[in-house]
Amino acid sequence: MIALLLQLAAGPVARLPEVALERRTAAALDLTVGDTVRLGPSSDAPAATRLVRVAAVYEPAADPSAILRRELRLRLHLPDLAQLLGADDRVDRFGLGLEPGVDPDSAAERLNRLAFGYRAYPSAAIAAESSQTFLVVSRFHRAIAVISTVASAVFLLCIMLLKVEERRLDAAVMRFVGVRRRTIFGALLLEAGLIAAFGSLLGTGFAWLAGAATNAYYQRYFETHLIFSLITPRIVLFSVALSLVLGLGAGALAALRLVRTRPLVLWGRG
Amino acid sequence: MPPFWGLRNLLRHPLRSALSVAGIAVAAAMLLDMVMLSGGMDRSFERLLLMRGFQVRVTPKGTLPFDTEATLPHLAALLATLRRDPDVVAVGPVLGTSVYGRRPSGHGDTLVTLVGYGIDPSAQTLYALLSGRDLAPADSVGLLLSAPAAKRLGAAVGDTVSLVGRLDPQMAEAAAVRRFVVRGTVRWLYDYRGQPSVGTLLPLMQQLARDQGEDRASVVMVKLRDGAPMRTVTRRLRAQLPNAEVNDVADLVAHFRERLVYFRQLALILGTVSLLVTVLLVATLLTITVNERLPEIATLRAIGVPSRRVLQQVLLEGTVLTLVGGTVGLVLGLVTARYLDAILTSFPGLPAAFSFFVPRVDAIAVSGTVVLLTGALAGLYPAWLAARAPIAATLRAEAT
Repeated sequence: MIALLLQLAAGPVARLPEVALERRTAAALDLTVGDTVRLGPSSDAPAATRLVRVAAVYEPAADPSAILRRELRLRLHLPDLAQLLGADDRVDRFGLGLEPGVDPDSAAERLNRLAFGYRAYPSAAIAAESSQTFLVVSRFHRAIAVISTVASAVFLLCIMLLKVEERRLDAAVMRFVGVRRRTIFGALLLEAGLIAAFGSLLGTGFAWLAGAATNAYYQRYFETHLIFSLITPRIVLFSVALSLVLGLGAGALAALRLVRTRPLVLWGRG
Repeated sequence: MPPFWGLRNLLRHPLRSALSVAGIAVAAAMLLDMVMLSGGMDRSFERLLLMRGFQVRVTPKGTLPFDTEATLPHLAALLATLRRDPDVVAVGPVLGTSVYGRRPSGHGDTLVTLVGYGIDPSAQTLYALLSGRDLAPADSVGLLLSAPAAKRLGAAVGDTVSLVGRLDPQMAEAAAVRRFVVRGTVRWLYDYRGQPSVGTLLPLMQQLARDQGEDRASVVMVKLRDGAPMRTVTRRLRAQLPNAEVNDVADLVAHFRERLVYFRQLALILGTVSLLVTVLLVATLLTITVNERLPEIATLRAIGVPSRRVLQQVLLEGTVLTLVGGTVGLVLGLVTARYLDAILTSFPGLPAAFSFFVPRVDAIAVSGTVVLLTGALAGLYPAWLAARAPIAATLRAEAT
């Protein structure tokens, strides 16, 4: 209603400055292409507002550094924004394209030697700085992964020990009928390996499902196409290798303990 | 039946018991860390906000304190409105801006980028004095430095420092230059680690940051009288100041929670996984143990030991295992929390005084109780198996 009234007051819509709204902004303000809206630099300065026309609604590039802020964004032509803010001929920052072969670090250094009131940064330095947050999150995830691995290793060792202990009578009988320790050890190790392999397979499937659920939840929550959980072949390979090593190691330790025990003790009569 | 038949069984298999205790300990440590993480952020942030006892923040419409470069205009009128409220006892306006410090010659690059705070010393909420003295209300040349700012400027208490504002790259000159005398070094409460910050009286910083006559601030901190209903006063101020954002500590904590929702959800998921690990460990261990001891249990039942006693003993075994593992885990959790906190507090732009993992008695009590209950409940199935052991069949199988 307000937009309509302002439209009438402003005359032909085609002459208005144009803005592009981010999809989320358009949805939050219930605006669509062709609508008019009044923009101002501050809510307490109605005289400084300008009527603009929504020329486009766009889907922003997925940006992990922006999703938590959940700001409503729109884009204007630079002169329109500068005029609206009363800051003609000013910008916050701009990018420079260098000639092929020019080193960005030395170019930035040269500019900074001449600089007064600005600072030049190579794109790589900005990327490194803005990815600091994600590096911290990554370090935190790694620390949690180490704790989880320790817990899993202890859990696995405990389960393997119990599984092998269950075989005390079988092992005793095998020893009584002349089966060699090495054969029993090998059989138990094979069993541990199979359990670890099957567990890894199940774990990979579970991780895939959990990852899909995580992505679905957070993509919906943050209204973004960002991928939050990514299971790569390298991660699967590492996890399966780790669980196999842990499973076989735990199985070997438990089996070694079993085959070193005298058969009569295993039989419960020693 | 011996009174601690179940416990003796734990000692009969020391390796197995030790491994179970270790597994439960790691799970309990993880649970404690996650409980500390889920509640610690809020507590730490709230404590940080209330450090100087100012409960309400007024910021430009649609923004949170120091979230954007937007400022509040017509500051004098705004402060007058706030002071008129009967529940308001103090208002502390703050302007945050970028300024430049000119180092003494011989230090290479002469301009150092700084964060400048314009403050009112009579209602300051931003810093704690470390050395030297505070600014007097009419100190037109006094300057306060953070330790990183002092280091970058190569300045100490008593030195003279030039601050430069509003640089014009085209004209290659500054619109505002002013000389200050360093009065003291301070710890700015909301600064991130290593932030080079300086503070002067508000009008001086306004002159450095903006054109003359612009009476603006980034945020106004408001202190309410003791016992004033914070939520009611906030609502009242919000109605009086429709062009500003008025948030009390509870609102700010809510905004903060929303931004760090990921960590709270991660804490919930990992805490649940920890409990699952505890259940699996205790249940598996006790089930296998009960299966191993079925002949023993059948014999005890045959000589008249009631099934209730067998059930109690198996439950006791699980509880003791969880109690020992849980106790070790809580200590381990406090140690790992410090390590994890050191990682997360290195987030760029986060106040150095903020903590993600805050050791609290209630967190320890909740984690300990939950682990203990979980362990005890995990023993229910094996205990039920033991109590319902078929006596005759088991003894016959054992005899053959």
